[in-house]
Amino acid sequence: MIWIDGVLVSSGQGGVYGERTLSGKRVWNPYRSKLAAYYHLGGDVEIGPSTRVLYLGAAHGTTVSHVADYAEIVYAVENACIPMRDLLAVAAGRKNIIPLFADATRPREYGPLVETVQLLVQDVAHPDQAGIAIANSVFLEEGGAAILAIKARSIDVSRSPREVVEEVCRTLTGTPLVVGKVIWLEPYHRDHAILVCRKHEP
Amino acid sequence: MASYWFGDVAGGVCRPCPGHELEALSDRLDLLSEKDERYVPFTWDLARECGFVHSREEYIAVLRSLCTMRAEKELGRISRTPEMELVYMVRMLDQIDEAANLLTGRALEWHAAKDPAFSRKLCDLRGQKAREMLAGSENPVISAIATELTHLSEVRSALSREITALATDVMPNSSGLVGGVVAARLLSAAGGLSRLARLPAATIQVLGARIALFSHLRSGTPPPKHGIIYQHRRVHAAGKARRGKVSRTLAAKLAIAARIDCYRGRPDPGFLESAGQAIDRAGGRR
Repeated sequence: MIWIDGVLVSSGQGGVYGERTLSGKRVWNPYRSKLAAYYHLGGDVEIGPSTRVLYLGAAHGTTVSHVADYAEIVYAVENACIPMRDLLAVAAGRKNIIPLFADATRPREYGPLVETVQLLVQDVAHPDQAGIAIANSVFLEEGGAAILAIKARSIDVSRSPREVVEEVCRTLTGTPLVVGKVIWLEPYHRDHAILVCRKHEP
Repeated sequence: MASYWFGDVAGGVCRPCPGHELEALSDRLDLLSEKDERYVPFTWDLARECGFVHSREEYIAVLRSLCTMRAEKELGRISRTPEMELVYMVRMLDQIDEAANLLTGRALEWHAAKDPAFSRKLCDLRGQKAREMLAGSENPVISAIATELTHLSEVRSALSREITALATDVMPNSSGLVGGVVAARLLSAAGGLSRLARLPAATIQVLGARIALFSHLRSGTPPPKHGIIYQHRRVHAAGKARRGKVSRTLAAKLAIAARIDCYRGRPDPGFLESAGQAIDRAGGRR
């Protein structure tokens, strides 16, 4: 990852969402992007020029645009109409974003389009985040990383965020996704955690 | 056999699609999605070995154009449906109300400050009466705003009639129960007819009462009895003790109505009559 005096940046065509630039590079704001917050808090999953990424819950394409600055190609899945329009605009300005207007709970819809990837990023607001990750782990190479942004409050507001994350970890036990680190995103995001998994076929 | 967007692989032999023509590739993908095949991992090398493309750049370029084209097509299809039109219309209607109320309130306050004889109580005036009051103001800005508000209210009435007409067409049973505008608001809150049809009655009951609902779930305040459906006459006219019961019954019937609207799409007079009776019974009327 590229750092300038403690500021996370990415190099690419600017002006995607009014982001600041620093020495000609695009500032990747940890308060806006959970993935940026993960790197600020010591995240060590590298995205490099040969990394293929599957990004679930691409939304307006702000984080996706930064990931695309680092990666070789990003398969960006989004299911809602209005964010999809913005995502298409972002993808139009970058040659390595493949916009997929599909439902991440139904990977069969986009299966014939998506190669195996080395990195799976999941940032969806859904009660069954673990299930979605498992269903999409077929796209992940053996040893590849899955970064799951767990939105504890979107899964269940009535339980404590810690319990929700423990439950997600339990659901992932025994699946090809082996849970590694859990990183809470305070002070950048409240009640959000990043779960880093590695794919190992049992 | 494993099928990919660029061709099929069977028995170690790959048959590529005949060309890079996007429409043809897209139609083939639609057919593929109907099949229930297991995902067999692949990388772009397969497309090269297949003879579909020569380079990585070419692979990405064709795939990117194909996916962009499909996404744009699907977006266009969704935004052109009458049901999405209805969602936009009702959101506009609510925004007009909000804007008109803000402008009226602000103008009345100014008017009151100019004319000490004008009682503060009148600041709560709304609608027609408020506009008349403002139109009589000596301040040219205030009276001009009154004129604009009158125009806005005409636009609002026309829009409201259009919403009722379209809702009666798109969701005849839901509209039959609660009227077109309230039905359209429920549609807007759910984000589409198919989503509304999949909601449980208990969710329909509190659609639009998000703050109260989350305050209940987080800190155990009393649960909300009603959301958008409160706007329906039989709910807000019911006595306080009856309102919860009426809301529950109405929401239950609305859940059925939305399903008939979504999956059958025709009015069902028998259902509407029995549902109407059930709701009246809940309200204590025979």
